[in-house]
Amino acid sequence: MRGEHLGELEELVLLTVGALLHEAYAVLILEEIKHNTNRKMDVTAIHSVLRRLEAKGYVVSEMGGASKERGGRRKRFFSLTVAGRKALDETMELRYHLYQKLPKLSFAALK
Amino acid sequence: MTEPQPPFLADRLLTWFCDPYLIEDLQGDLYELYQQALPKGKLKADSLYWWLVFRSFRWSALKKNQKLKNSGIMITRNNFKVAFRVLWRDRFNTAINLFGLTIGITCFILLGLFVKQELSYDQFHGKKDRIYRLLLNEDYGDGRTFFNATTPLRFESMMEENFPEVEKGVQYIRRTHLVGRGTDRIHEPIGVISPDFFQVFDFELLYGEAEKPFVSGRSGVLLSANYAKKYFGNADPIGKTIAIQIHEDIRDFKVDGIFKNIPKESSIRFDIALSTEMNRDFYDESSFTAWFDIIPETYILLGEGERSETVDDKMQDVVLGQLGDTQYGGGQVERDQYNILLQPLTDIHLNADIPLGYAPVGNPQYVGILGVIGLLVIIIACVNYATLSIGQSLKRAKEVGVRKVLGAFNASLKAQYLIEGVIITTLAMTVGAGLSYLSVPTFNSLTGTDLVMTFEWWYPFVYLALAIIIGVISSIYPAFFYARFKAATILHAGSNSAEKLKVRKGMVVFQFAITVFLISTSLLIRQQVAYLQTKDLGIDYDAIVSVQLNPDPASQTISEVTASAMANGQLLKSGLQKHPEITDIGMGSHVFGTNGWAHYGINDNNDNFKRFRLLVVDPQYLALFGIDVTAGRSFEPNNTFDQRQGVLLNPAAVKLFEMEDPVGKRLPNDNFGDHQVLGVTEDFHFSSLHYAIEPLVIVQSPTPILQGISDLDLADNIVPKLVFRYSGSNLTNATDMLRSEWESIFPNESWNYEFVDEQIRSQYESEARMNKLITVATILSIVIALLGLLGLSLLVVNSKVKEIGIRKVLGASVYSIFNLLAKGFVIQIIVAIVLSVPLSLFLMNRWLENFAYQTSIGPELFVVSGVFALIIAGIVITLHALKAARFNPVDSLRSE
Repeated sequence: MRGEHLGELEELVLLTVGALLHEAYAVLILEEIKHNTNRKMDVTAIHSVLRRLEAKGYVVSEMGGASKERGGRRKRFFSLTVAGRKALDETMELRYHLYQKLPKLSFAALK
Repeated sequence: MTEPQPPFLADRLLTWFCDPYLIEDLQGDLYELYQQALPKGKLKADSLYWWLVFRSFRWSALKKNQKLKNSGIMITRNNFKVAFRVLWRDRFNTAINLFGLTIGITCFILLGLFVKQELSYDQFHGKKDRIYRLLLNEDYGDGRTFFNATTPLRFESMMEENFPEVEKGVQYIRRTHLVGRGTDRIHEPIGVISPDFFQVFDFELLYGEAEKPFVSGRSGVLLSANYAKKYFGNADPIGKTIAIQIHEDIRDFKVDGIFKNIPKESSIRFDIALSTEMNRDFYDESSFTAWFDIIPETYILLGEGERSETVDDKMQDVVLGQLGDTQYGGGQVERDQYNILLQPLTDIHLNADIPLGYAPVGNPQYVGILGVIGLLVIIIACVNYATLSIGQSLKRAKEVGVRKVLGAFNASLKAQYLIEGVIITTLAMTVGAGLSYLSVPTFNSLTGTDLVMTFEWWYPFVYLALAIIIGVISSIYPAFFYARFKAATILHAGSNSAEKLKVRKGMVVFQFAITVFLISTSLLIRQQVAYLQTKDLGIDYDAIVSVQLNPDPASQTISEVTASAMANGQLLKSGLQKHPEITDIGMGSHVFGTNGWAHYGINDNNDNFKRFRLLVVDPQYLALFGIDVTAGRSFEPNNTFDQRQGVLLNPAAVKLFEMEDPVGKRLPNDNFGDHQVLGVTEDFHFSSLHYAIEPLVIVQSPTPILQGISDLDLADNIVPKLVFRYSGSNLTNATDMLRSEWESIFPNESWNYEFVDEQIRSQYESEARMNKLITVATILSIVIALLGLLGLSLLVVNSKVKEIGIRKVLGASVYSIFNLLAKGFVIQIIVAIVLSVPLSLFLMNRWLENFAYQTSIGPELFVVSGVFALIIAGIVITLHALKAARFNPVDSLRSE
């Protein structure tokens, strides 16, 4: 199925959405990611990824929480769906599984 | 205090493209970031906002509402799907449309190729905008005007030395020399070029340096890749030698370089090149300083950014300074008498007003005519498509009605029909391009053109663009026509308003007017060509062969050349006389079928400037061609007085010299040597019928006349030719006899013969070629117009099925129904014929002005083409009308 694969940025955003629970909206997500990863990115990339995730059914959104500093416009809050959670679990599992396969004492083999 | 706001325009832009579902939170987020950025300065925050707005322009954020989908800007998949379904459903109609458009496009591409080839002459030179050819235009009053594209030898250095604007000057001379040694020597055209020639023109040297192509100087030669292969096969030609006869001795030239074959679209063409350093061997010492001895074409390359006007402005000052006290005709040359003009290189090929230099010139008129015809044919095809698809309107009216009821916008309906048109033309274009590619060889052999269809990476784009343009043009009317329908009217009764019929009638008239115009044009050209080829020229030229004689290489003057060649001719003559099939043998300096016979100018006793042509013959020449002398007598064989002093005139020459009863008198110029007018010939055409008969003086020895001349212009080769009539049945036998005699008498000379009747016919070659091209275009346009008519009559019959049924039930005869259907078309076609007459008359008269002798444009021309158009249209209509008239009314009235 189209869109099954979870991209690296998608995974990051999805994790952040899950972590922020009910507070997740684009600007906050951006700040979180910037804070945690030291990446350079702008909000439009986050928007784009969020729309993609929503189309894949990994997140849902609802409107709410207007504030003055937003010129009276509401925020769009995202929350993780069951499918989103499952996709995260699968990715994690895959990584863990692969990580386990690394030889334990392999410092000598590193370059 | 109001808070700083993000840039207004950026906000507008965002709302314009962004999906309204997403806009609120997106804008809110951007606003929030804007506020955060504000402490760093308003400008910084503003630019961040702009940046974010641009970055938000992503596919996922774009508006995807109904309006955009149907706006016609957005060509959706649905449009294409419906278009293909419709086209497939009306297969017959689509096939007719496709066929008509394909023919039109093929014709358009082929004629376009021809026009493109003609227009692309000399365009491949990188410095083409800075290269000019020098023209010499002398005007000393009294008709003493001389206009030439060849110039004195000294012009090259004069231009380089006196004009800082001129970066380089180069010469180009075309000569013919015998090349090779021993028995297989042949005459080859040779280009004599300045050593810096390759720095001005973009002819590519495959071997050798453009700065110094002639390493061996005057004994160096350059060959084209083709000729290197021709003379040396696959061996490396560099450093090898090739023998060229210069005057009486055969010299070896060393191959210094090889250049890429010169492209077809080049005015300057040569395969063997010698350096202008050889000019010292070719020409007299005096030629190098002469002002009136014209030999090379001189080309100049202007410096970067220089304008030709600057050179023009200074020209007269420089010329006068250089001329000094040079005399012409007894007086000093004055300002504006000796003019040097600059002609842009790219102007040479299609400017017929400039006299011919070495570069051959195309015919701009034909290029124009054929270009227009190509356009006309494609227009007919477009009109055809329009009439045919409007013809389909009945079938599609319901579809349009339903679409409108369901809320389709006008724009989306238009888009639908435009897309159909573009699909069809793209198909037609693809097929047409393939077809033209395949038919190029046929087209070439049929019309005598030399087209090549090459492929360049940008062609597909041009083709696609053309397909879209043609598609839009041909379907724009139907598109608007449909879009204007009122849903209620259509669904109620599929009626046609009178206004719509008028447009359609107009289209039929237009189409047929063009077709009739093309028919009468091709008929007239055919008539004129036939007239030219069959007009009584006053000479009898059937089964006559002409052989070029060779003069003694040591002979210099015109008289010596003529005499020595005629002496050689006597040897050949005695050889040929042994054959009984060869009945008459004569010799003359010119033969019929060539233009540009030796042209001389004299100042007569009253100092009036007069020009005439001179023909040097032996006593048999005139009788051989059946030219009679009407007053006085002709040359008598073995009469030495005739031979040295006898002169014959043609009537135009009698008029020129203002002589009454000239027989026994002298010509009115005391400078001429001793001579006497023996007689006056009848009128005969010695140049092509483009020109009126010019004054002609006929002599056996040119010496007395040459003593008196002041100017000369020798366009045609003046070395005498031997002519003989062959009475046998097989002309190849004649050439065999000629070959064996020639080889036994002149074993080391190459030989060259022509059939005089062929030569005369070939003077009208370009007319005959154009005639063929137009005939092809005419036939194609007839086919296209007939297809249109076929579709239309089908439509008319369909729309009147019920009416016909009722009429038949009420007792109408087959004839009256046929009448009902056919009358409209007949009237339209008659209107078309009438409309085409003034157009054809105007354009044809313009074309006929090219000829001194013209066929007449009579009414029968238009009657014939009109009747022809009527008949073929009639056949198509009749077939349909009869079918409709015989239709059983039960079938047409039963339903509903």
